Amino acid sequence: MNRLYNVHTLWLVMLALTLSTYLMGRLGLHGLGIVGFLLATSVIKGTFIIRDFMALRGVSLLWRVIMYGWLWGVCLTILLCYWLGVRSW
Amino acid sequence: MPGDFAIWIFIFAELLVFGVAFVTYSVVRLQHLEMFNHYQLTLNRAFGAINTALLITASYFVVRAVQSIHHDRVRQCIVWLYLALGCGMGFLILKSLEFHQKFSHGIGLGSNTFYMFYLSLTFFHFMHVILGMIILLAVAIKAKQGHYSAQNPVGVETGASYWHMVDLVWIILFPLVYIIR
Repeated sequence: MNRLYNVHTLWLVMLALTLSTYLMGRLGLHGLGIVGFLLATSVIKGTFIIRDFMALRGVSLLWRVIMYGWLWGVCLTILLCYWLGVRSW
Repeated sequence: MPGDFAIWIFIFAELLVFGVAFVTYSVVRLQHLEMFNHYQLTLNRAFGAINTALLITASYFVVRAVQSIHHDRVRQCIVWLYLALGCGMGFLILKSLEFHQKFSHGIGLGSNTFYMFYLSLTFFHFMHVILGMIILLAVAIKAKQGHYSAQNPVGVETGASYWHMVDLVWIILFPLVYIIR
């Protein structure tokens, strides 16, 4: 971790991303692009938690595949379902 | 892996359960789009956002607790753990208020499919926050009794790993249930 990339700045970035998520909901923004952005912020926050808070940066590939696979798998499935919903609306 | 290996088996199992629940919510939402979009507006997004900030901040405090024990600063470690517990308590209070608002309006599991998912998912997560707090409290008490040090940080790392899992799950649950429409 360097001067800019450390747990303090990651914490602040995650709070800022949470605020952006709230504001999007408050403004009633919707659509595939918005949902993609919301899920991308979840992936970014999740990556910070897995890699830096849980300290899984240097562990074996298997454990990282399980954790990141869960994060990406769930978010992509939510996005896919949303896309199917938009198509059928 | 940081902490006791057994906690990771538990964490993977928990993530699997929540993952299936999130995917199920998304698939069922497809069949009830109007209902989900309508009733989602009744949720308190501000409470949801504040709760997200509380959990992220608690996770940050837990990271500081782990860093402290790695540097053999036991007293600091305990302080960070109690600060994290304070954030967890804030989460529980806000969530209880939210549940109270819903129950006082006669909303329950049987009201409709959206509320069934909303109450099930958030209450299931609520129980995990309580368990996480019990674990952090036990770690703080044991730290005070001198069980942990830079040479033996496993207990603190184990509690921290579980708490981060609780945070990780909420980071997806919040936009999924409160925001995405």
